[in-house]
Amino acid sequence: MLIQQLVNGLTLGAVYTLLALSFSLVMGILGILNLAIAELFMIGGYLGFTLITAGFPLPVAVLGGMLGAAAIAIAIEKIGYQPLRDAPLVTPMLSTLGFSIILQNVATNIWGSDPAQLPDEYFGKQYALGPINIGEMQLIVLVATVVLVAVVAYIVQKTPMGRALRAVAENREVARILGVSADRLTMLAFILSGSLAGVAGVLIALHYGTITPYLGVEIGLKAIAVMVIGGTRQIWGALVAGPLIGIAEVLTVAYGGSQVRDFVVYGFMILILLLRPQGLLGGARSDQGQRV
Amino acid sequence: MSRIKSNLPRVLGTVAAVTLSAMVGGQAWAQEIAIGAVVPSSGPFAEWGRSNTVTLKMLEQQTNDAGGINGAKLKITILDDAAKPAQAASSLRKLAGDEKVLAVAGPLTSSAAEVTFPVANEMKVVSTSQASSKPGVAKLNRPWAFRNTIDEGVLAKTTVPFYKKAFNIKTVAVIFDAKDATASTVGKAIMPAVLKANDITVANENDLLSFNTGDLDVSAQVTKLKALNPDGVVVSADYSQAITVLREMKRQGLIKPVVGATQLISSAILKAAPEIPVIAPATFYATMTGPAPEKFTATLTPLLRKESGLPKDIEPSMYDANIYEIVSMYIDAIKKAGVTGKPADLEADRTKIRDHLAKLEGFPGLGGPIGFNDDGDAIKAFYVLQGQNGAWDTKVKGCSSAPNHPAC
Amino acid sequence: MSTYYASLLAESGILLLGALSVYIILATGQLSLGNGAFMGIGAYLSSYLTVALNVPLTLALVIAAIAAGIIGAIVAFPALRLKGIYLAMATVGFGEMVRSFFLNFDAMGGSGGYRGMQHISVGYVWLWAGGILIAVMLLERSRVWLEMQAVHDDETAAGLIGLNTTVTKIGAFGAGAAVAAISGGLFAHHNVYIEPANFGFDRSIEFVLAVILGGSTVGPGSLVGSLLLVFLPEFLRPIADWRLAAFGTLLILVLLVRRQGILDRSLIRTLTFRRAAA
Repeated sequence: MLIQQLVNGLTLGAVYTLLALSFSLVMGILGILNLAIAELFMIGGYLGFTLITAGFPLPVAVLGGMLGAAAIAIAIEKIGYQPLRDAPLVTPMLSTLGFSIILQNVATNIWGSDPAQLPDEYFGKQYALGPINIGEMQLIVLVATVVLVAVVAYIVQKTPMGRALRAVAENREVARILGVSADRLTMLAFILSGSLAGVAGVLIALHYGTITPYLGVEIGLKAIAVMVIGGTRQIWGALVAGPLIGIAEVLTVAYGGSQVRDFVVYGFMILILLLRPQGLLGGARSDQGQRV
Repeated sequence: MSRIKSNLPRVLGTVAAVTLSAMVGGQAWAQEIAIGAVVPSSGPFAEWGRSNTVTLKMLEQQTNDAGGINGAKLKITILDDAAKPAQAASSLRKLAGDEKVLAVAGPLTSSAAEVTFPVANEMKVVSTSQASSKPGVAKLNRPWAFRNTIDEGVLAKTTVPFYKKAFNIKTVAVIFDAKDATASTVGKAIMPAVLKANDITVANENDLLSFNTGDLDVSAQVTKLKALNPDGVVVSADYSQAITVLREMKRQGLIKPVVGATQLISSAILKAAPEIPVIAPATFYATMTGPAPEKFTATLTPLLRKESGLPKDIEPSMYDANIYEIVSMYIDAIKKAGVTGKPADLEADRTKIRDHLAKLEGFPGLGGPIGFNDDGDAIKAFYVLQGQNGAWDTKVKGCSSAPNHPAC
Repeated sequence: MSTYYASLLAESGILLLGALSVYIILATGQLSLGNGAFMGIGAYLSSYLTVALNVPLTLALVIAAIAAGIIGAIVAFPALRLKGIYLAMATVGFGEMVRSFFLNFDAMGGSGGYRGMQHISVGYVWLWAGGILIAVMLLERSRVWLEMQAVHDDETAAGLIGLNTTVTKIGAFGAGAAVAAISGGLFAHHNVYIEPANFGFDRSIEFVLAVILGGSTVGPGSLVGSLLLVFLPEFLRPIADWRLAAFGTLLILVLLVRRQGILDRSLIRTLTFRRAAA
């Protein structure tokens, strides 16, 4: 049972990793919490569902979810962030909250508040490896997570674009003086983050096979905790922290603590913040954050 | 201030109506009978609230087409509470205080009912919930609070014996939604007690598994359920959360019969894992047979499907039936208890409706006769259903009171 | 006044206190996204005192406020190492932990909620809300407030000129927690029923929203924000299915048009000047 629980924990961890990374792309670079990411994830899921049930193959569904979420992310950046970029951090955070309220309402009106479910045949095959059971979609989620993190890490660390992003993250003023267009890069960060949330939404909704307009609410808050634990400016941090929290949750349930699960997760986040403010893998120090 | 201004047309209207009726010669009835409803048309239960709205509009139309109530037109004012307790309570205040309705149908959720029922008592207006089944909520708020639902504790006493016999159940494992008040009371208290009374062992008695509303992943809980190797699983959750559990059970190959409370009844849950039998009690379901429910479903379904903001394959839910019955009972009370609907008689009219409901017996509901017990909960027939392969099927007919009661 | 509007006014008063609890903390440059938890502590503690121990409500509220204030100060002490958005996220974690605690706190109903409180009048709510608003406005004219502003503007500099920034920040947190607890106590005795879901992240963010929309640079801004957040959804009822989307849109619009919030010093000056001239 323990091994099966570890597989469960890794899958849940993959979900957290993808979402935490979406949050940290905006958070790490711009220092703001884009609360609408949880809803981009949800919209991505619905778009994926719609495309799959319309008979399109998985890659098309993933692409559809990604483009849809990225398009909304662009709108959020243009309307909700760009005009407020000089305001205190809390102001753009609340404007993203406005978007998240709108997106939930729109999804309810389009797809209903009852769970949308994938028909049976999309469940995918199940493989039994000795005592453990793993699904086809589950494998895809796990592999895709590693690949996506690697791709994002490559973009941020190796490409000129990514270097510029990091320069802006380090010091916006200096980056501007060096001729880096902060506005274009801000947009880039939103697009990357939105696309990632969209892809995550498609994969995860297909894995669990059910989705509601409020899908992102609980998991979004947890993903923020995972981002903090991994360190907000470390791409790889999310890859470590996601599975760590996923497994911690699963083991809490496995050993009789299903009722205190959330207490454990958030307690762990606070401990990390206090004891290791730069996150597990280092990076920005939370005792030197920007002013709110 | 501005309220006076906004009230002015209505005040003038009332004055005109009163003058008019005085001129006609002391007519005994008002020209319009006002009833209110509080439903969650936005937020997480939007679908229920919106289908409730369509149901009530249908009833309003039907009543007025048939000549109204004692010659007066029925007007149902429907307010959205977004499933938020505070908005439900202020909606009731608006309906009872400003709109002067005779009685209110709703609110839907138990959380909203907890906050709204005390207000109903303060305002002295009947409020009847169409869905709340958390034990004892109406009982704490007598005499103005009613619920057209049956206490889950009563239902489980019929559901569990059938479940035991049908699937030869000796042990079960329990999983419940800890954030949902009804689900956690059923999962933590009601079900374990009823199971014990039926000699069914709860395999995880000291470690009842829980999850939280909104959880996407319940794989750890299901793996644990599977390791306990029970004959069946108790899933105490609202159906939209239960769907997540059922799909995970199916994914992990835990194909064992599931039992739960009325919260499980829905068309959507049938699609989650068609091969897993689901046993739950209901007072109404869309494929129910009989002249009254069949007519109700046939009339309402096309209207629901025509409504924007509702899915194209939607069917009437138990809560649509319940709210339809609630307002029908109000109409019955108005006709039979000498309610005038005149502004001057408002207080007396509301009391008459309350007293009529309190001693109501054998009102023809969609699933059989309805009455209310001293706790304010419905005495009505219910059915233990088995959902499998995409359809609900009646297995046992029960009643929430003694067998010789007229409602049974 | 109809009971409907009275009830909405009572809700605004309760929200005003929640907003002020954030405002006081924000004045030192710290953002709390966990004040819903302090509200919850105040709600549960004051309800226990009035229902189980028959303590008079006013006394119960004072006790709850002191208790929450102490908890706030204790929580603030380690949290002060964190700055900006990181502190905000730690408060999110704290809020979720407290909510999770009440969910499992079966002695007071757990997820089943707690009841038995006596309903209070809108007048009593506003006695507290108005009183605390005036107290905050008086505080804004005091030397303490200048110190808080100094910590807000530049903590290092404030420390260098000899201000005890730690005491200022912990004090602000404690005071904020106490005000949130009173908001919670009034909430519990207005609704006469409480459950853990009342005090989650939604609630905490609603407080922040009221401050930022209304104006985060002046105390009365919270008043404007609270009235707006309670009454706006009611006025949007005719839009039916799109009510929440319209609310979200208006929220974004207000932020875009007035990022400093609806009320600020210059607006107050303009308004008062006109009145004086008229």
